[in-house]
This record gives sequence, C-alpha cells and structure tokens, in this order.
Amino acid sequence: MTNRAGSALWRKRSRRFRSGLLALLVGVVFAFPFYWVVVTSLNSSNSVFQFPPNFLPGGVVGNYGHAWHEASWVRYFLNTVLIAGSTVALVLVTSLLAGFALGVMRFRGREIAFFLILSILMIPKVVLLIPDYIVLKELHWLDTYWAQIIPWGASVFGIFLLRQFFGALPPELIEAAELDGASQLQFLRTIAAPLARPALITIGLYIFIGSWNSFLWPFIMTSSPSVQPIEVGLSTFFGTNGTDWPGLSAAVVFTTLPIMIVFMLSQRRLVAGASATTGAMKG
Amino acid sequence: MSLDSTLTARALGISRSRARSRAGIRNGRLAFLYLSPALLVFLVFTIGPALFVLYISFFNWNLLNPSLSRFVGGGNYAALLHSSDFWNSIVTSVYFVGATVGGSTVLGLGIALLLSQRGLVRRIVRLAVLTPYFTPLVATSIVWVWIFNPQFGLIDSVLKLLHLPEVGWLQSTTWAMPALIVYTLWHDLGFTVIIFLAGLATVSGELREAARVDGASYWHEVRDVVLPQLMNTTLFVIVITTIDSLQAFTQIYTMTGGGPLSATTTTGFLLYQQSFVFYKTGFGAAIAVVLFVVIALFTLAQLRLSRRAA
Repeated sequence: MTNRAGSALWRKRSRRFRSGLLALLVGVVFAFPFYWVVVTSLNSSNSVFQFPPNFLPGGVVGNYGHAWHEASWVRYFLNTVLIAGSTVALVLVTSLLAGFALGVMRFRGREIAFFLILSILMIPKVVLLIPDYIVLKELHWLDTYWAQIIPWGASVFGIFLLRQFFGALPPELIEAAELDGASQLQFLRTIAAPLARPALITIGLYIFIGSWNSFLWPFIMTSSPSVQPIEVGLSTFFGTNGTDWPGLSAAVVFTTLPIMIVFMLSQRRLVAGASATTGAMKG
Repeated sequence: MSLDSTLTARALGISRSRARSRAGIRNGRLAFLYLSPALLVFLVFTIGPALFVLYISFFNWNLLNPSLSRFVGGGNYAALLHSSDFWNSIVTSVYFVGATVGGSTVLGLGIALLLSQRGLVRRIVRLAVLTPYFTPLVATSIVWVWIFNPQFGLIDSVLKLLHLPEVGWLQSTTWAMPALIVYTLWHDLGFTVIIFLAGLATVSGELREAARVDGASYWHEVRDVVLPQLMNTTLFVIVITTIDSLQAFTQIYTMTGGGPLSATTTTGFLLYQQSFVFYKTGFGAAIAVVLFVVIALFTLAQLRLSRRAA
C-alpha cells in the first residue's frame, strides 16, 4: 500500500469516526430529556432541588404511587383508548369506502371528487375551533365522547393512501372477481381490504397515535374529567401539582409509556408510511 | 385464471367488456354512496365550518345565545387592524415560525446527512431523534418546563457549574421564546429528518461517487451534488413546517401560557385566547380567517412547486 493511499484510507476512517461520534452526541441530546424525567421521577423532592444536580436515579418509587392516587388516571386511560380506538375504526371504514370509490370505480367527476378531498388539507385545524365548537354545541355534543370521535372520523391521508393502493390493483384481479360474480362490497370485503392490510395498519397507527396525543381539541370541546383523555388529564394535573416535580415526572412517565411502546413497536412502519406519503405528495 | 379472464375479455371484444363493466366492480353507479360517509364528516366538521368561520367573522357573535349576535360587517377586521395585540402576535409568529422553520430545515438536513449511512449506532440515534415527534406535546413540554426551571432546572444548574449567568428562561420576556423554539425543534425535528432521509435515498449515488473520485471534499460533495437534488424535498419541508408552526398551540399553552406579558403569544395562540378565554368569538373568527388565508397561500405554493417538479 502506498503512503498516499494509506493516508486517504486513514482520512476516510477518521472522518467516519468523527461523524459517528457527532451522531452519537445528537442521539444523547435527543434522548436526554427522557432519561432526565425518569431520574427526577425516582428522586425525592429534596434531592431534586439540590445543587449540583443529581444525575442518577434514586429509588424513590413512592412518587409513582403518590401521583397515581392524585387523579383518576384509570378513567383518563380508558377514555383515551375508547376515543382513539373508535376513531381508528371509523377512519378505516370511511377510508376503505372512499378509497375504493376513487381508486377502482369509474364515474364522472372522479378526479374532481379526489381533488376536492385533497383540498381539505388546505383547511388548517386551528381555524376550525370556533365554528366546530358552535356546531358541536348545536348538536349537544360538547363534553361528550362523540365530540372527540366523529369530527375525526374521516382522514384525507387514509383516503389518499387507499386510493393509491386500490388504483394499483391488477386489472386481472378485478376481472376474475367479476367472472366469479362478486358484488362490489363482496370484492372490497373479501379481496381488496385484506390485500390492503399493510396500508390499513399504517393508517390505523397514525390515527391512533394522533388521537392519543391530541390536546387542543379535547381541551376546548370537553370540560368533564369523566370524558377527557389522558393528555388533558395530565395538563390539569400539571396545573394543580405544578411544583411537585418528582410526582409530576412520575405522571409524565406513566402516561407516556403506553404510547411510546406503541411507537417503538411500529416505528419501521411509521417511517415507511411517512416517507411514502410525503414522497407521493411532493409529486 | 385471472390471465384467462383477460384473454377471454379481449377475445370477446370491447362491446362485451363494456357490457360487463356496467354491472361490474368498476361500475360507478354507487360511487357517491361509497364516498358519502367520509364526505359527510368533512362537510359537517371541515368544509362547512371553514365557510361558517368567515360568516361568524362578520358578526359580534354571542356564543351563549347566537340569536343575539349582531352583524358588524368588516368591524372585526377593522378592530384587528387597530389591535396592538394582533400586530404583536404577528411579530411573535414571524419570530417563532422563522426560527423553527429555519432551524428544522438546516438541522434536519444536517442530522439526516449524519444518519444516512448504515450502522447500528446510527439506527439507534435515528430512533432517539424520531421518538419525541411521536410522543405527546403536553407530557414532553412538562419535562422541558422542568429542564428550563430557573435556578433548579438542568440548564441553569449547568450554567451555574460553568460560572455563567443564570437565565430565567420561561419567566423571562427575552428568553421564553428561545426556550420555546428549542423545545419545538427537539420535538419536531424527527419528522424533518425522516423526510430528508427519504430524499437522500433518491440522490444519485453515482454522481456522489463521481464527485468523490474527482477529489471533491465532503462539503463540496454535499453542496454541489446533494443539495441541488434535494431542492424539492427542502421546499416541501419548509412549507410543511411553516404550516405546522403557524398552528402551534400545546407547547405554548403548557410552557408559557403566551407570556410572560405577551412575549410568546403567537397569532394562533391569540386566536385561542380571544375566542375561548375572553369569548370575543367574532374577533377570534377574524383572526382565524387571516390565518386561514396565510396557510392556504403556503399550501397552494407547495402544490404549485410540486406540480412544477413533476
């Protein structure tokens, strides 16, 4: 090996090493707040307020029991699962039907209908707060589960993804089903929907996580803890226990853990879904 | 079998296949029925309300008893133009949106470049960068309120250890906004990184290789070969993050409540405050219409750009 080639190799290796180190640093910066909240949740109030700060977790598990008894977390959890689960179910049904119509059926105005649905993306959510509050009030749905499920029961993202998928179904498949005398709904139920399972799972995950993490909407549209989801509950808890940092940290940990597990188990699919959709929408 | 049926259809000619399609699966007779559940939801909760908000903005709207609402024409808009709260919120929004969009574009691209190679370390780091984006805003904001706590928080402790002056962060009119921006970048960068990583995957490896063979340094390779191919991705990221930042609410509500004074009251937050704290519904609706127009322009620009790219 000549000297020059050797030094080039060396340069390349050292660059790779340096960029690896930088990547690691980035990872630490992003992960640290999660570590820090666990540390705080396991230390006593006294040691949390000491200087220099204590970077290691203690064994004060009692913070968890204490925080758990301060609010009706079980109710908040059940509400969240009910709301997120129902929203997912509704979105899947409406997206399957609309995606099938736009991707498989041939009818006049199909392109216009699709364009109209896409243009809904232009309407920002924050703009809808006032009018939807009034609509929900007129429906007598304020402070109910309905207010948190039905308005989110259709998704442009879901329709878009399924339209793409159904539009790409091999024509032979459709013709074969026609020869077998299958009706449209039969075809959708027994052939198209099962084939679309990966897309359905991606849509379901996004809707579930989005619903679980939502705050502004339920915060405005509900007022009773009996129908409120976990993030609104946590916000209320923060308002009343704002200086009890160990207890607050414990609450943050146990309210966030379930959705973080969902994320960790499904991250590959979520990333693939985001890349595919944004790629398609970029054109 | 599927192949058979295509062949048969072809052999029988177009008239037969047309006849079948009238009764077949592609028949669009019931299309509207299939579309209607989704359309109903959109109509009642999205499209209708988007028009309704415009209507409300012309009234002195009475939330408790709508029949007592009074038509004021352009009154709310005139009040908006003369409201120092509104203009302050515009300045604050430009600060917040500019910093978060600029930050997430530059840092997002940088981190994506750093993570685009294979390897276990990079896979773990990618997960760490991505996690905040999928975790709730309320919960993670609370963690950062603690990190930014004056005196006892992590950052002020470190500043103290380094014998640097401590900062009141969320309680300081100067530093509350930077703190909010740091949090928002931390929470949202993962999304930008995914998009840039997807973009980087489509960048021609051959061109990069060629640049390297020609002895281009890494920075030249990025600047002259990678960036030009990422123009569309970058524009997409800028538009999407702008639209998101204009609507930011939860972290502002949790971390600063729009304060101190009104240092972090963006236009989106002002909309909430005016409508749901002060119950000035018509005025809030006028703010909503302004926001709507701004965001719609950004979305149209994005559609335009993507069509040009296609």
